[in-house]
Amino acid sequence: MSFFVEVDHIDRVFELPNGGQYIALKNIDLKIRQGEFVSLIGHSGCGKSTLLNILAGLDRPTNGGVVLEGREVTQPGPDRMVVFQNYSLLPWLTVQQNIELAVNKVMKNLPKAERDSIVDHHINLVGLRHAVHKKPKELSGGMKQRVAIARALAIRPKLLLLDEPLGALDALTRGNLQEQLTQICEESQITCVMVTHDVDEALLLSDRIVMMTNGPEAQIGQILDVPFPHPRKRLEVVNHPSYYALRNEIVYFLNQQKRDKKRKSKKVAAIARHGLEKVNLDIGFVPLTDCAPLVVAKEMGFFAKHGLEEVTLSREPSWKAVLEGMASKRLDAAQMVAGMPLAMTLGFGGKAPLPMVTSLVLSRNGNAITLDRDLFDQGVRSLEDFANHIKQTPDITNTLGIVHATSMHNLMLRYWLAAGGINPDQDVTLSVIPPAQMISNLIANNIAGYCAGEPWNSRAVFEGQGVIVATDLDIWAGHPEKVLGVQEEWANQHPRTYLAMVKALLEACEYCDDRRNREEILQLLCKPEYIGSAPEYTRPGFIDPYSYGMDEEPRSLLRFNQFYVDSSNYPQPSESLWILTQLARWGITPFPKNWVEILQRTHRLDVYREAAQQVGLPPSEPHRKPFQLFDEVVFNPDDPISYLNNFAIHNTIRIEEISLDSITTVAA
Amino acid sequence: MATRADISNFPATFLANIPTYFQKNARRLLAPVIALVVALALWQLFAQITQTLPGPIQVVQDTWDPLIINPFYVEGEDKGLGWQTLASLQRVAIGYSLAAVVGILVGVLIGAFPLLYEAVDPMFQVLRTVPPLAWLPIALAIFKNSGPAGIFIIFVTAIWPIVYNTAVGVQQMPQDYKNVAKVLRLSSREYFFDILLPSIVPYMFTGLKLGIGLAWLAIVAAEMLRGDTGIGFFIWNSYNSGAISEVILALIYIGIVGFLLDKLVGFLATLVSSDK
Repeated sequence: MSFFVEVDHIDRVFELPNGGQYIALKNIDLKIRQGEFVSLIGHSGCGKSTLLNILAGLDRPTNGGVVLEGREVTQPGPDRMVVFQNYSLLPWLTVQQNIELAVNKVMKNLPKAERDSIVDHHINLVGLRHAVHKKPKELSGGMKQRVAIARALAIRPKLLLLDEPLGALDALTRGNLQEQLTQICEESQITCVMVTHDVDEALLLSDRIVMMTNGPEAQIGQILDVPFPHPRKRLEVVNHPSYYALRNEIVYFLNQQKRDKKRKSKKVAAIARHGLEKVNLDIGFVPLTDCAPLVVAKEMGFFAKHGLEEVTLSREPSWKAVLEGMASKRLDAAQMVAGMPLAMTLGFGGKAPLPMVTSLVLSRNGNAITLDRDLFDQGVRSLEDFANHIKQTPDITNTLGIVHATSMHNLMLRYWLAAGGINPDQDVTLSVIPPAQMISNLIANNIAGYCAGEPWNSRAVFEGQGVIVATDLDIWAGHPEKVLGVQEEWANQHPRTYLAMVKALLEACEYCDDRRNREEILQLLCKPEYIGSAPEYTRPGFIDPYSYGMDEEPRSLLRFNQFYVDSSNYPQPSESLWILTQLARWGITPFPKNWVEILQRTHRLDVYREAAQQVGLPPSEPHRKPFQLFDEVVFNPDDPISYLNNFAIHNTIRIEEISLDSITTVAA
Repeated sequence: MATRADISNFPATFLANIPTYFQKNARRLLAPVIALVVALALWQLFAQITQTLPGPIQVVQDTWDPLIINPFYVEGEDKGLGWQTLASLQRVAIGYSLAAVVGILVGVLIGAFPLLYEAVDPMFQVLRTVPPLAWLPIALAIFKNSGPAGIFIIFVTAIWPIVYNTAVGVQQMPQDYKNVAKVLRLSSREYFFDILLPSIVPYMFTGLKLGIGLAWLAIVAAEMLRGDTGIGFFIWNSYNSGAISEVILALIYIGIVGFLLDKLVGFLATLVSSDK
């Protein structure tokens, strides 16, 4: 497929007066389809306006080039009209004359009557009939920008470039104009590139949002697809199930860039102390009840006891943020959903394989599947009821929330649905939403239910918004849930630090499973820097009996949050193998033919063994015993492929050799 | 807007409005009148005490006939102040028009080309400070005639503010306008007439206003030194014949005409750039 606009590996270097160089843009590569609306977003000085000027031809790239419809852009031209931030209307001309000037110059060979009708049409389009004979100084900012937009559209450009078009306007005018712009762009089917600071504006207008990293050497950090259907209305967009997830993602990106800027200004060096390579660690976590071992290790002094005196727990908004923080080495280590280190090692989400290791399971169980209270009122009380409900209402799409593709929530929800005859990729829609946003999406009726960790299920029960149809004790009791993940390279470079961290967390996990400590841990968890939610939402399962919200007596589920007992912390390779089969079953990653090698490489059992021995805990050994989930289908760790091939409901399964030989990580 | 609507019965409403106009603006109108009366009284007092200058009453008496009542009388070589003023104005008109055309062109050029600006700026800065009268001998040497010489002096005096203000206008032109022109791919002709010229109008007129004031200053001085017509010549002539009252009357003429010229250019500026 050929693209309408191709920005081909652009660099822009400015020569400084003192003889130095400022590299504003580095290797920008972007392809834009015809009719697409693309936003450029980033902090000031990230070169987004420079990029726009290069697209317009007002500036030339130092390397690379821009191709519009197969022709290179070398100079400005009316086929790439710009709407400038400060309107750029000519003050001595009236509204009409301003538009006429453009139309008359660009469309010289059209008859006058036709040109006049084009001018008229565009004045009406932006609703400025009443002001045609006014000069710009008599107009408000919003009106001026409407004139500029009309002028730009009137000459029928192939590409409309908008440089913070609404940035200088007050909130109310901006809102109105955003709606108008949405409508105009949709009607004229024009290809647009817009520079903006405003996250909501970008979401409302764009088909794709290009997020740029900070300059110097600004690059494209991430490109976000905005899936909202056209035509768009603000209220409909805001209520779309993925709106807040997308919004969060952008805000997260921008915050991360801001932190990055701060960090660059004060370069943090590794502090080595007590024979450890690094004691100032950044460890990522997501606010959930089962982040308890990390909180306890820090607050109760287990980290400090093992020499890790400057640990910062970095609260991350989503699992995706954890993944990116680890990939970019912003985080030294992180609490991860169990499938994440495996998926990253295999190459997840179009990324190259990034070898990760784990030596510790931080928690087991702790999840539940919540369904909307309305479904319960319609009689849905079990998987069977839910399957029947879906069959009876084929025209309703039921969307279910998951927290990450590689999380146990996703894999177990899919397994549970498939066991009930529901194809998770066809009969329902699964949407990735950060755990903390599940309830607001449930209330807004964007989703019919979700699978997430606590306290986000009990909270829905408390608020009467949802009921719990199953916990993971009902599906696979004692499954590995959160693990400690680090990059293989990091583990090799910081062997003593890694061991100290595993020891500290192992002791913290033991502390967490002593029920006498639970009240105290609850107080820690409810601090605003950790989960920050009310204690009553966190109590069920963690301390109190667990209520499903189905008007029954709360049940005592002692193993709901399992941190230590029954060799909880041992990263059992056969359990990870089950996860690999499920990642492959749903097409999330390919199944590695060389699974034995992958499991050996990702599970640093030696570190666990040494840590357990040093803190005086019994060691564990890998086993290859078959096990089964609630549907009693036996999983034999010696024959994962036939297990995988026996599923009736599955997605496209790829079985591939994953070669990690080419990726050698440097040992310290 | 209201006045435009009832323009049909214009004379009646206009006349009816006169008293209210005076009532409303009494203070604004009365203050200058009082100041004028006070100044005249002081002048009269000064004249009576020192006996060097004629007082205002004396001036009016001396010049009433024919200078005041008939500015356009002609008696052989003797011409009324109206004719003298017109002769001066004619020179100003020619010299100033030349200065305006050349000044704006040069201003646009040096404004548009930084290299040119850097090249000529030191020279212009030196020439600019030369007083108008110092040019007179050179002008006479070139033109051998006081008429063209006067025109030259006006030209050379009025041109500098026009050049520099125009140049600043071009330099200060917002990048946005240039970008608009680039994106629309205007030809240089279109760019000059549709974008550049309108955008520098306010600067241009600042220069033109300064220029007209200087021109008027210069012409009077030039005519006084070397002339056969014009209001400067008239002053010198009257002084030589000891008619101080005539000199004073001519001074008043010069002041009023200078004031009117300034207002005229200001008015033209508002006509051309009504948006600024």
